[in-house]
Amino acid sequence: MTRLTVRNLTKSFGKIEVIRGIDLDVADGEFVVFVGPSGCGKSTLLRMISGLETISGGELWIGDRKVNEVQAAKRGLAMVFQSYALYPHLTVRQNMGFGLKVRKESPDEIERRVNEAARTLQLDKLLDRYPRELSGGQRQRVAIGRAIVGDPQVFLFDEPLSNLDAELRVHMRAEIAALHRRLGNTTIYVTHDQIEAMTLADRIVVLRDGRIEQVGSPKELYARPDNVFVAQFIGSPKMNVCPVEAIRSPLQRAGFSTGGATQAGLRPEHLRIVDEAEGILCGRVSISEYTGGGALLHVELEGAPVFLVENSGDDAPQPGDIVHLAFSGSDLHLFDAEGRACHREPELA
Amino acid sequence: MASLNETGTTVRAPRAPWLTLKRRETIEGWLFVSPTLIGFLIFFLGPLIAVVFYSLSEWNLLSQDTTFVGLANYEDALTQNPDFWQVIRNSVIFAAGLVPMNMALALALAMALARPFRGVVFFRTIFFAPVVTSAVAWAIVWKFLLQGDAGAVNQMLATVGIDGPNWLREPNWAMAAVIVTRVLKMVGLNMILYIAALQSIPRDYEEAARLEGASEWQIFRMVIWPLLAPTTLIIMVITTIGSFKVFDHIYLMTGGGPENGTLVLAFYIYQQAFEFFEIGYASALAMIMFVIVLALTVVQLILRQKGST
Repeated sequence: MTRLTVRNLTKSFGKIEVIRGIDLDVADGEFVVFVGPSGCGKSTLLRMISGLETISGGELWIGDRKVNEVQAAKRGLAMVFQSYALYPHLTVRQNMGFGLKVRKESPDEIERRVNEAARTLQLDKLLDRYPRELSGGQRQRVAIGRAIVGDPQVFLFDEPLSNLDAELRVHMRAEIAALHRRLGNTTIYVTHDQIEAMTLADRIVVLRDGRIEQVGSPKELYARPDNVFVAQFIGSPKMNVCPVEAIRSPLQRAGFSTGGATQAGLRPEHLRIVDEAEGILCGRVSISEYTGGGALLHVELEGAPVFLVENSGDDAPQPGDIVHLAFSGSDLHLFDAEGRACHREPELA
Repeated sequence: MASLNETGTTVRAPRAPWLTLKRRETIEGWLFVSPTLIGFLIFFLGPLIAVVFYSLSEWNLLSQDTTFVGLANYEDALTQNPDFWQVIRNSVIFAAGLVPMNMALALALAMALARPFRGVVFFRTIFFAPVVTSAVAWAIVWKFLLQGDAGAVNQMLATVGIDGPNWLREPNWAMAAVIVTRVLKMVGLNMILYIAALQSIPRDYEEAARLEGASEWQIFRMVIWPLLAPTTLIIMVITTIGSFKVFDHIYLMTGGGPENGTLVLAFYIYQQAFEFFEIGYASALAMIMFVIVLALTVVQLILRQKGST
């Protein structure tokens, strides 16, 4: 049973506090992704869990064991680094067997476990090569192989795909997901790429300035963000947010109640271009970006910031065109003055 | 090539300028390398050819007569003169003592000073300062410190009840003394090279090893040391070559004595040329030293090539 419990965890470098009281429960076998902008503390938090960074305050439990003062190697974790950290002077076989060798496992046992991991990751034919002789994707697989050989309780991934090109990243993402389904280990994965987070995670932890902004399934975070930051961080292109005041009249005309909300949010993919009669919002297209399957329109609304609108199909309006936009009430997100979500279904007045 | 234009007059096709872009770049290239090239020809290749010539000659400085003697000077050194083999033996002992001590100390210092901590710059400066200190001043100060009973080293040893030897007057101790003082003078250079190499090793390697359960010693032995191999090889070769060429230290501290106990090759060449005026013989010795250094350089190149493949 390898659940992970974090209680009021803090980390300071001198006077600078970078992790400010994190509380989190990760269930056995769960795939949790830490996501957030650069400098939010996600990698530091992962390194604190791994034992590579000391804990300034709070408690960290792995299973039933408090591990604040336990050495990294004795926490039962394996980590895949962003740089892969494959030893360049060792072959794939030696890299994968390194941890077992330093733990004085017998050569036969090392051989057996390395071969088993190599089969799982289809690395059989690469075992005698050096890292410099491998492609980026192969190196990534070796790094994962080195992690699984030790049979850890928890896998930690620190932005493992950020050095790969876009195509390979999609491929490796699928491989990591498949591997997790097969092995079922508790996994914590750090990324700044919210698409990676959405596609891999059972639950996503959104971090900002060393604090958790929201924890939830990808669907929850997308559909019911707790605040403006999460609303704009999750989803691509990001959610349009504007003061309610700027669009109060059209919303009221359409029968939407805004209650005490001060900000309104609408995702680009939830805005439809419609006839004037059906339109709720109206604006002029300033930019039209062709995206292959459609176009991303920049629409200037009166008194509101520019809204992004996803338009599928070939008949995208051109810059200068006037467009009318509609959306359903359930897609309207409302936030208070502090940016917190007003959690209620927007209703027809 | 001439042709007729519309008005019927003859015009010539414009001639390609003499100073084409390619030619201009070639000239500029030569101009850029010429200071080094001229210096190389005058101060390296010229003397080298002269030494080869003189090593095959008997040159009388007084009469300025030069007689071609073939390989006689080499034969004299390699088969007739017992001093030569003692000098080679001394040079090998000097190198065998200095190189491992210098490298081990440089690596230890680099391991301690590679990572930032309060005061690290001060310590790096302290250990590097002797490298840029005048060799003459360094040798004279150490000669003073290592004097028999009056020397500061022996006086310090006396305070803990040790009766120190007369460092520079006993052959074995003299060799040990010049080796140690030379190491202390030059270790800072290798320390800096090792620090640079250590700082270029990504931290991830060490952290990955630590996560996998490696001890500090295992991390050093299985990760850091192999990754330092190219630097170690270069340091080993340049330190060995430097130890074969040592002159100033010996000249100032022991003058090759006592009983030729510290008479090493470079100093022996100097003695033969400028004390005994055996220019031909000294030139042959210089060629032998050149071959030794060249052989070490070739070994280094071969090992580096093997290492990179």
